[in-house]
Amino acid sequence: MLRIPVEVNFFAGGFRPMLNVILSLKDPKIFLPVKGIIDTGSPTTLVGIKDMIRMRLSKLQIKKIESRKEEVNVGGGTVETIKLENMKIRIGDYLETELNIKFPIKGENEKQPTLLGVDFLEKRRAKFYFNPSKKEAYLEIDD
Amino acid sequence: MEQEQQILQRFQRDSEWFYRNINSLRKKGFVGKFVAIKNSEPIASDKNITSMIEELSEKGENPSFLFIEFVHPEGFTLIL
Repeated sequence: MLRIPVEVNFFAGGFRPMLNVILSLKDPKIFLPVKGIIDTGSPTTLVGIKDMIRMRLSKLQIKKIESRKEEVNVGGGTVETIKLENMKIRIGDYLETELNIKFPIKGENEKQPTLLGVDFLEKRRAKFYFNPSKKEAYLEIDD
Repeated sequence: MEQEQQILQRFQRDSEWFYRNINSLRKKGFVGKFVAIKNSEPIASDKNITSMIEELSEKGENPSFLFIEFVHPEGFTLIL
């Protein structure tokens, strides 16, 4: 059994379970460390607008992947996203996996954090433990 | 791989520093702004994230490798 520690930080009104991950892809070339909130209320992993802007993808790079556009509803608003398929997602030395990840290309809330959704947990059959009163959280993955 | 690990470790240290020092950042006038942290220090801040990314690029920083977060006012609640 692999146990991966998850940080618990107070952010925007409450304790949130957070994980530092590296997102990477060969084409377009992406290497992006992000701090994502593990959100079991979100079925999919969605990169925040702020983190998308940090990547500085060119208009040309976005245009190449525009065919994979989708609209996603987040917190009462709509965000237009592109889906990057088979993106590598790495948690330190613990594990690396591939996932289809949505990136926003249009949306108003730049403060929206990156969400690590249920698809991320499901992909590695991870169990998630979160005890906010003890500020304790971790992922458990069967070997 | 080793360089990637170093980038992630610095990113992690800077993000930990941000959450430990959020109240101090509020007192120093960063409320309502995005802040970029490098080596446990704010190196840029702006209300507009795009302007800040441009400023960081002009300074020779790679924003992809930096921890950047918005400083919400105390008592603000974000429902995801």
